[in-house]
Amino acid sequence: MTKEEIIGKLTTIVKPYIQNEEGFKNLNENTDFINDLEINSANLVDIILDVEDEFKIEIDNDSMEKMLSVKATIAVIQTKMNV
Amino acid sequence: MYNIGNDIVDLKLAETESNWQRKGFLEKQFTQKEQEEILNSEHPFLKVWLFWSMKEAAYKCYAQRIKKRFFAPQKFECSLFSKEEGLVVYEDTTFYTTTYFNTCYMHTIAKVAKGERTFFSGIGSSKTIQLALKIKLAAITGILSEEIEKRKTSVGAPLFYHQQKLLTKSCSISHHGNYGAFVFI
Repeated sequence: MTKEEIIGKLTTIVKPYIQNEEGFKNLNENTDFINDLEINSANLVDIILDVEDEFKIEIDNDSMEKMLSVKATIAVIQTKMNV
Repeated sequence: MYNIGNDIVDLKLAETESNWQRKGFLEKQFTQKEQEEILNSEHPFLKVWLFWSMKEAAYKCYAQRIKKRFFAPQKFECSLFSKEEGLVVYEDTTFYTTTYFNTCYMHTIAKVAKGERTFFSGIGSSKTIQLALKIKLAAITGILSEEIEKRKTSVGAPLFYHQQKLLTKSCSISHHGNYGAFVFI
């Protein structure tokens, strides 16, 4: 799966949780879930569970620890999908 | 260095926006012991959010200190001495927490030291909480609230300044749903 396809799917996943429309409109590889999209940390776990379901992967705690940005999330997804 | 963190949970929003019974939700964020405590509780929903706000308040305290952000709620282990007072342990750091709750929200303050050091806190509407903090700070320092400016640290923690002078040693602001809360020293 290409980076662009992953970003496309991530955009759909994060949409229900975003609180900053401007940040969402500009969503790109460098977007930070909390600083740019103002996603509440209480929803981060929902995003992680949605990513697991969508990409059919299992995210361990060490990987989850880094998933605060689009870039880090893409890296985790790509690594897990290639295992 | 002395740090302080806080977290507010709008219980109405938590109920509608998050489903704690969703598969994986508890397993990803809570330790085995916490999960058992939640499931054996009379009010599992409230226990989930009590532990969550304790973990989050402790994390906010810790992130300011080590200047690093991460998402590892399971590594912050909660235990309670009473309904309101508890401990959160992350690796070799212990945080002392106090939680205030009513039917609308839950608010936890976490500190690294047990001592009775003075701090200031407030709870209000999500939209005006920053203004409320500035007004409090103005009352303490005698500086006009309009001249107080917020700047963020590298981990996104807020600090308040008057020109070049730092007014808060440590500060944390939390928003959730309709509510906002702050704590600073």
